[in-house]
Amino acid sequence: MGLEKYIAERIIQAFFVIIAVIIINFIIVSAAPGDPIQFIAGDIAINSPEFATYLRHKWGLDRPLYERIFTYIFNIFQGDLGYSYRYLQPVSQLILERLPVTLLLMITSNVLAFIIGILLGLYSARKNGSFVDTSITSLNFLFWSTPSFLLGIILMMIFGVNLKIFPVAGLIDVRNPKEGFWLYLDIVYHSVLPIITLTLITMPLYFKVVRDTVIQQSVEEYAYMYRAIGFNESKIYKKVFRNAILPPVTLFAIHIGFAVAGAALIENVFGWPGVGRLLLDAISARDYPIIMGIYLFISITVVLANLIVDILYAYLDPRIRLQKIS
Amino acid sequence: MAKTKVITIMSKKIGIFSNILNIIQNIINDKYGFTGLVILAVISGLGILAPYLPIPDYNSIEFPRLMPPSEQHIFGTDYLGRDIISRTIWGARISLSVGIVAAGIASIIGIILGTIAGYYGGLLDNIISRFTDIFLVIPGFFLALTIVAIYGSNLYLIMIIIGLTTWPATARIMRAQVMQVKEFLYVEAAKALGTSNLRILIKYVIPGAIQPAIANTILQIGNAIIIEAGLSYLGLGDPNFPSWGRIIYEGQPYIASAWWITLFPGIFLVLTVLGLSFIGDSLNRMLTPKIKVSTKI
Repeated sequence: MGLEKYIAERIIQAFFVIIAVIIINFIIVSAAPGDPIQFIAGDIAINSPEFATYLRHKWGLDRPLYERIFTYIFNIFQGDLGYSYRYLQPVSQLILERLPVTLLLMITSNVLAFIIGILLGLYSARKNGSFVDTSITSLNFLFWSTPSFLLGIILMMIFGVNLKIFPVAGLIDVRNPKEGFWLYLDIVYHSVLPIITLTLITMPLYFKVVRDTVIQQSVEEYAYMYRAIGFNESKIYKKVFRNAILPPVTLFAIHIGFAVAGAALIENVFGWPGVGRLLLDAISARDYPIIMGIYLFISITVVLANLIVDILYAYLDPRIRLQKIS
Repeated sequence: MAKTKVITIMSKKIGIFSNILNIIQNIINDKYGFTGLVILAVISGLGILAPYLPIPDYNSIEFPRLMPPSEQHIFGTDYLGRDIISRTIWGARISLSVGIVAAGIASIIGIILGTIAGYYGGLLDNIISRFTDIFLVIPGFFLALTIVAIYGSNLYLIMIIIGLTTWPATARIMRAQVMQVKEFLYVEAAKALGTSNLRILIKYVIPGAIQPAIANTILQIGNAIIIEAGLSYLGLGDPNFPSWGRIIYEGQPYIASAWWITLFPGIFLVLTVLGLSFIGDSLNRMLTPKIKVSTKI
């Protein structure tokens, strides 16, 4: 009963968060300066009031506010994120077309950061206070303090422009297009630098929480108890590790939004044709439906990802599984 | 009367103001904290003294364009012939102001909401906590980006928006702390003496619970600086103020030939955020005695 109730609560909560996100989005649009009709029709709307009235009616702008909010929410739940007047395509279609290459960056780098961060954290905690630990910790602080785009620029300058080991920008080699397997290999080759950048930026998060938790846990009573019984340190370490693995899982959920932001900025550094690049183009062209659509899409994805991690977490953590939700 | 005296003394012991020297002492003793303080002191010192330093006006375009670092221009000049060291030092003023104002707004909202939720509990707590959860999940960077893209790039708007999107972490931390502190005996005693809730909160509960929130605020300053730099990098920064992000953005087209435009403000930005992270983390470790004890072994 406990687990089902917990999951049900989470789903209801996620639903309300999505509604809240949509309403915030709606308020931002409605309160924006300028007449939306002018955005749609430009000068024609000023010259021809009849046309403006027609458009106002067509887009439902003459209806009361509450009715418009409901229509808006209803449309979004049907996957309608609006219409880009620059590309003359639905925003959702534009996003979905560019999503796979963005996911390639995001998923790879986050999984790598998660694994490397945890391993380094465990290692560093074990060598607590040593020179190695201080070096690893300081390096992690350094990467944590560097904006993703700046690290991207630096890596691009070193490995792309000067050493010429990796391509500077783009998804594929346009001058020398390849096919089949080699095309995928080319994409992987082009993705190395952006993925390294994102991994280095995200890693400190997991490193720090694991290192702190392990150090904290290794002076808990149970660790002393094991020590007193005569367990050797590596066995105690295994017990400590089990308790140190939960916090990074929670972080993984909380920082999905952060990861998307990092990816969007990095795409612009490396000319990666993903959602982040679409966003930058939309900003410079003032294509508001795309900006709003991407914001909504990312927010909803983050909420859903959080929901999934919350449910997974419930299975992992016996305190929740066994119905003792604090 | 005697009882009030005891309460005052006890609350003084945990009061932030009487403890401030002790905190600084502890940060200085910590190698990370000390490094952070030194870095921050140098950079903010430069920023504060910017108008009095012998550097050219940051908007002056009288110098040769895209000059590499030299004796006259230690950090070189940019595509309009502006002196980069001058812009970078003035950038410290602007970026640090953005960080402090945004983190200040965020922590005021977070501390007030967190305190109310933690102290009163019940329905009020439930409403505030749900509200916090919503804002915790919404990706703040994109919300800020969307609003700035639509309403225009104004430095003050950027500060306020960053502040309004980053408060939930502080609210959560404050709530958890207040829930602990309100169970302490001196708070009970103050209640028993008939002290008003507002007075208890301001004199006893908030001073006792605020330290983790302060540590978090210091980390938030760095975070806000990075968010502003990210917005600037996407071309959404205020063109009238040379924040570090703005200088990097303007140097981007010339990155292959004039690396100095990007590199120097970049180093300043990273060092500042690093210093803030060191201090914030040092404070956090100080507040978690177990980690502190174990690092000394």
